[in-house]
Amino acid sequence: MKSKKTLISLVSVFLLSIFALVGCSSDDDKGKDKASGDQITIDIFQFKVEIKDQFEELVKVYEDENPGVKINVKTVGGGNDYGASLKTSFSSGEEPDIFNVGGPSSVEEYREYLADVSDTKAVEESIDGTLTAVQDGDEVLGLPFNQEGYGLIYNKAIFEEAGLNADDIVTYADLEEAVKLLDSKKDELGIDAVFALPAKEKWVLGDHISNMFIASDFNDDITEAYNSKTIAFDKGDELKRYLDLQNSHSVQPVLSLDYSQQVEQLFSLEKVAMIQQGNWVYNSVYDMDPELAETGIGILPVPVEGFEGKIPAGVPMFWAVNSKSDEKVVQASKDFLDWVYTSETGKTAVLEDFKFIPAYKGYDASKIADPLSQTIYEYAEAGNTLEGWVYQAAPTGWTQESLGVNIQKYLSGDLKWEEVISQSRAKWEAERK
Amino acid sequence: MRNRDFSFWLFLTPVILSLSLVILVPFVYGFIYSFTNWNGMVATEFLGFKNYITLFKDAEFRASIWFTTKFAICSVILLNFLGLGLALLVTRNLKTNNLMRTVFFMPNLIGGLILGFIWQFIFISVFGNLGDLLGIEALTGWLSTTATGFWGLVILTSWQMAGYIMIIYIAYLENIPKDLLEAAEIDGASSFQRFRNITFPLVAPAFTVSMFLTLSNSFQIYDQNLSLTNGGPFNSTQMVAMNIVKTAFTENKMAFAQSKAVIFFVIVAAVAITQVYYNKKKEVDM
Repeated sequence: MKSKKTLISLVSVFLLSIFALVGCSSDDDKGKDKASGDQITIDIFQFKVEIKDQFEELVKVYEDENPGVKINVKTVGGGNDYGASLKTSFSSGEEPDIFNVGGPSSVEEYREYLADVSDTKAVEESIDGTLTAVQDGDEVLGLPFNQEGYGLIYNKAIFEEAGLNADDIVTYADLEEAVKLLDSKKDELGIDAVFALPAKEKWVLGDHISNMFIASDFNDDITEAYNSKTIAFDKGDELKRYLDLQNSHSVQPVLSLDYSQQVEQLFSLEKVAMIQQGNWVYNSVYDMDPELAETGIGILPVPVEGFEGKIPAGVPMFWAVNSKSDEKVVQASKDFLDWVYTSETGKTAVLEDFKFIPAYKGYDASKIADPLSQTIYEYAEAGNTLEGWVYQAAPTGWTQESLGVNIQKYLSGDLKWEEVISQSRAKWEAERK
Repeated sequence: MRNRDFSFWLFLTPVILSLSLVILVPFVYGFIYSFTNWNGMVATEFLGFKNYITLFKDAEFRASIWFTTKFAICSVILLNFLGLGLALLVTRNLKTNNLMRTVFFMPNLIGGLILGFIWQFIFISVFGNLGDLLGIEALTGWLSTTATGFWGLVILTSWQMAGYIMIIYIAYLENIPKDLLEAAEIDGASSFQRFRNITFPLVAPAFTVSMFLTLSNSFQIYDQNLSLTNGGPFNSTQMVAMNIVKTAFTENKMAFAQSKAVIFFVIVAAVAITQVYYNKKKEVDM
């Protein structure tokens, strides 16, 4: 009896492993005969997990309208994961026809694969400044995904109770005063602290906070930053002042405070009055407290001297078309991207389903789903943005692994501010030798 | 060993094939790439030992090797201590034996990433709130300093792996002939003497196995590190594996990361071989 059982299980294990092996090799006839006859197949490899389902819906609509085109969408999320997977698919020869690049360094890396898309309608419609990162002479090498912007997101009710008007906070002195006022009324307002500074997140320190203060070193020009051999840190002291302000009025210890604690536990539960974050927090806040998200929060620009009233807005990622694909496929890919961003169906999806802040003109701002994005789109259309997310043009990894880490050391007291500046600068120069 | 006929090789082929495909070939390729300027797609230039020279000047890499070594020492000692202790506990004739074995082994079934997040919650929120409640300063702000981050990792790993090591010790403990222990008892040996002179030498092979396992495991930890501290604060709790991944994918220096991996391999191999060699010498034959 027992040996029979063993035999049966052995056989089933054997069969299972054979099935597994066979299963691995079964669906590789996709994408083989691209553009054979009238049928065109486009492989898309994109990074934004948040819109995966909505994007696939939109693709289906396009396929119905254009019977000759078949589109496969593959989504891999997150910064590092996407970069690594994209690299793997290129080195293994399974190159996608449409993929994503972010900023000048990945443009340079994939330069030989990037088709010129300057002849598309979407390029004409794009908001000024959104293309600088992907321009090479007359050529445009990518189409902006969307815009993202950040600033100080505040709780309207707390501000009101403290007798503050967010519109009055224009200069740095105003901000300081507001923080002092909020701090003195902490108990009355029932908050733990004024800010929540998530210093565990190197991207908050190294990318977003620093970006506002180093953009002017390169005249807000992402290309200039990309070619710069050094970094001046003209506004270094201002950066320090702003960090100190947040740190000394933040929930402690900042070094173990992460993004989800900042947004979900502290801000959404109204334990802090302000956080520095971007429009992307909307969904998290909405999940915690829909009412707060829809009517209770606003965003105001961080007052950087000389750039008051400007919101740093930028394009996080670009769509690129693979120039080594079949000519017909390249054209079809461009047509598809054009359709996504300029057709009525596409526009509606971009606004309402993807909940993007469009990087293109001619969108109805009132239809933007959340108030934060709406405010940022208004700032962008009025030209009140701090141009160029220059952090994308820093040497690869520099913003987080050098500047971000050094700021963490400063916050923990292990490094003096002058050393933060000099060490980060030295690293920049070493990378750009 | 006379039975190496056709079927022997037939059954061995799948293993050899997959092993060489996923381990051997990539290893050789990686070794070759570490001498070039490979960027993940193409290598255009042969650099010789340039990557290795830069590597020895890389303070962060040295720091993470040192951190990993400290971590490995602490967790090897703690894990074997705990593993043997638990094994001794559950090999006594208690009614709850099986239940306890299951309970102790359980953490090992949970993935490292999830464990990391669970313990992150415990260290930050539970510890923090307890500290506030009881007024114990030392409990607040865990994972925000290098020292607490280090101990956090040690605690997490011990909690996860102790049950697994326990199983190995149980296997050897139950193999000790009862008559030996009985004879010693009749001769009047105290329980400590029996452990010291009979049990301990007889489980020496288990030490070899579990020390090898804990040592190589602690050196290669990545997921727990990623989810618990993510190297923070300021990369001071960053272990070697994480440093390599970051060099490759965040800083986009594939060949350089590859050379780090080669050095890492050499270190781990050397340490493990030395350990097994010395442990083997200590084993006694029945």
